[in-house]
Amino acid sequence: MDSFYLAWRYLSYTKVKTFILVGCITIIAVLPLTLEILLDESERQLTLRAESSPLLIGAKGSALDLVMNSLYFADEVPETIAMEALEQVMDTDLAAPIPLFVRFKARDFPIVGTSLDYFDFRNLQFAQGEKFVMLGQCVIGAKVARKLNLEPGDHIVSSPETLFNLAGVYPLKMKITGVLAPTHSADDLAVFVDIPTAWVIDGLGHGHQDVAKTTDNTVILKKEKNNVTANAKLMQYTEITEENIDSFHLHGDPAAFPLTAVLVVPYDEKSGTILQGRYLENETPYQIVQPKEVIDTLMANIFKIRNVLDAVIMLVGTATLLALVLVFSLSLRLREQEIEVIFKLGCSRATIAWLLGAEILIIVLISAVFCGGFMALVQYYDQELVRQLFI
Amino acid sequence: MIRLSNIHFSYKSGDFNLSIPDLRVEAGEKVGVVGPSGSGKTTLLNLVAGILTPEKGSVCINEMEINCQNDTTRRDFRITNIGFIFQDFGLLDYLDVKDNILHPYRITGALKLNNDVRDRADKLAIQMGIDDKLNRHPSALSHGERQRVAICRALLPGPKLVLADEATGNLDPKNKVHILELLFKNVDKHDATLLAVTHDQELLPYFDKVINFNDFLREETL
Amino acid sequence: MSIRSVLILFLFIFAMPLQGMAEKKITIYTVNYPLTYFAERIGGDLVNVVFPAPSNVDPAFWMPDKATIREYQKADLIILNGAGYEKWTKKVSLPMLRVVDTSKAFKDKLIHIETDVTHSHGPSGDHSHGGTAFTTWLDFSQAVQQAEAIYKAFSRKLPANTTDFSNNLESLKKDLLELDAQMTVMSTNKPGLSLVASHPIYQYMARRYNLNLKMVMWEPDADPGESEWKHLHELVNAHPAGWMIWEEEPLPKSVKRLQDMNIKSQVFSPCFSKPQKGNFLSVMQQNIENMGAILK
Repeated sequence: MDSFYLAWRYLSYTKVKTFILVGCITIIAVLPLTLEILLDESERQLTLRAESSPLLIGAKGSALDLVMNSLYFADEVPETIAMEALEQVMDTDLAAPIPLFVRFKARDFPIVGTSLDYFDFRNLQFAQGEKFVMLGQCVIGAKVARKLNLEPGDHIVSSPETLFNLAGVYPLKMKITGVLAPTHSADDLAVFVDIPTAWVIDGLGHGHQDVAKTTDNTVILKKEKNNVTANAKLMQYTEITEENIDSFHLHGDPAAFPLTAVLVVPYDEKSGTILQGRYLENETPYQIVQPKEVIDTLMANIFKIRNVLDAVIMLVGTATLLALVLVFSLSLRLREQEIEVIFKLGCSRATIAWLLGAEILIIVLISAVFCGGFMALVQYYDQELVRQLFI
Repeated sequence: MIRLSNIHFSYKSGDFNLSIPDLRVEAGEKVGVVGPSGSGKTTLLNLVAGILTPEKGSVCINEMEINCQNDTTRRDFRITNIGFIFQDFGLLDYLDVKDNILHPYRITGALKLNNDVRDRADKLAIQMGIDDKLNRHPSALSHGERQRVAICRALLPGPKLVLADEATGNLDPKNKVHILELLFKNVDKHDATLLAVTHDQELLPYFDKVINFNDFLREETL
Repeated sequence: MSIRSVLILFLFIFAMPLQGMAEKKITIYTVNYPLTYFAERIGGDLVNVVFPAPSNVDPAFWMPDKATIREYQKADLIILNGAGYEKWTKKVSLPMLRVVDTSKAFKDKLIHIETDVTHSHGPSGDHSHGGTAFTTWLDFSQAVQQAEAIYKAFSRKLPANTTDFSNNLESLKKDLLELDAQMTVMSTNKPGLSLVASHPIYQYMARRYNLNLKMVMWEPDADPGESEWKHLHELVNAHPAGWMIWEEEPLPKSVKRLQDMNIKSQVFSPCFSKPQKGNFLSVMQQNIENMGAILK
């Protein structure tokens, strides 16, 4: 007996109906599962990271923006503070400060200006290469390397802050010295540079040599014998090389150079408390926040939304299931004659039911495959999705 | 040989009663059944096929009293020994011609689908003149072609009895005779018995015998 | 004494050094010899001090190669002089938290030099003394503060050994303060005595010990050239100096010509690199002896 063969024939003959049924079942299965995965991942990313980042100092303003930018390298850039803020922490002898300047991007990945201490603090291991040594070099996260197919020795160019900011800072072409091992955190998607390099990108430092001509093929749209057409990406960029590094310098007082935050690691609990107390005064232009508190508040809100979403999905799911039952029973009506014929030919009612069941089973199986594939994709891209949707 | 004796049958709704004191069809006979609508022609076929069970009396096919068998036996008997041909062809749109012909083999464990069966199906299709249409779906065929497919399906398991319910009812006059001739030829080739319901007086002369429900149950030997 | 107590005593005796050995030595990278000396004195056996610059290069104008920079990056502590001394650190990436700027305590008192004249000597090529004066340790009171910065960093790194470091620091401080006292006393003998120095590296020393010092830009191993001699003539006309202080033993030719100008020569070594004989302390003691000849 070829129930599945017949069921498959029927389903492939009624492609549109099958497609709609599969689509509906896939969607009602995928929606809550995706939401579950993404929320879990966001919770994991947010909470883990927040727990491992004791204190943050930044400009007064939105604590959430400060945390999101400093911990997850989110796009919302907080007001900058001066490097002096870091010196102040250093002088207290209560905590180890790590600078963060997260404002620029390279090929859509955030450039994180920090010190080498960041690698030690986050315990980041190198999959390839080593830490940056010279001004103008960078270390890239695992996913950056994979997505852009880059490895040590390659270069990556910083993007101008806005497309219209052409008059100001030239993009910096940075040499990659190392690729980090995957961490399943925002670090996988970051381009790390030493803080002075970030300042060079910010236009605070420059060299006296000419900007280089592009060899980056991605900016070229069309190449003809005597004519090269470039797309809008083309612009000149600076590169710090061994030849011109001596001419590179920063302008102004380094204590006044900008940071987006200082990641503060107190030497002990007591030091942390004392330090926090010092930033409670009104005169200070800085705020000190405990990322965990900020994220806990955020998570509480996310969970409220999650409950509402769950209820909505439940309702939509039930409605869709009812609609599916309706569709199926209507199609049974349409097939009454066919069923009668099969019966007369000598097929039992149970076999007929089994034939129809096989159709449902196949539809569910196809939906499960789609759902599985989709879930695998979601799982695979959950970090990025969470970054794009929540962070 | 088919023999119905002292049959009494009524539907549950109670608005139809059929009594058949005695009816015999000899093996290899081609019998036409005529009568007005609602006189019980289709009911007769269903009783013979074991789809309906009489309240009284017996239906014997080759010594087997079909109305005394259980459901499974009757179904297996039907699918292996009886070929059904319907007025509206009863083909499945989602299967192509080949699969329609092989359809009985796919819905029961009583018939085994193998290469031999497939070869026979091909030969039958050649005999019926539809071998070039095996990959088409019924919706792409003419009425005549569809009925040929239905005949192939009915004959493929090698039934000893073919029940045709208005098999030519949907066909134009030219096709009617042609299809009937084809059916007769193949029924003969398979040594089968044919019991064909029709309301087409023109076709009656082709049958060996006609059972007329008009003045039930008067057998007319032609 | 029971066998048990003997056993315990044995265990105690053998376990003690083992325990000490279990704690790994920390590796310290420095940028000049004085800091290397301070670090070695304070750290003793608990630290491994590395000063990778070759001895024939002035570390102030040295640029380590990539492999050396990576060594610096891996060090447990990187002891910098500060005051713009180690210019190469501006171009490279070092772990901020492991860097110790020893002159930070007196950063408000650093001397900024207006002139920015480039000159050339040694394998390191052209260099300039513009910006901040960096020979901070020739003011021995500042040297003490630099030593204290090192002590603080060591204690943070190995808190269990703070007492050792503290004792070592006290001993070093005593020596440095002795040098400071000698210089201070000596300078009162001839207050305001006009002096010239061959190289602009004595700013902090001159300030601390009230020396009336004018500095030219000569190298001890080369003739300064006629224009420099002329410049010196003009200088001593306004600033009648009877002595020139050299960072190293000058060429006899230069000594002779200075003598003809009634200017005697004397060495006060900043001790940038490890001396061939003795150590920082002995070199400084010799310096002070040399100064004694001037200020007697």
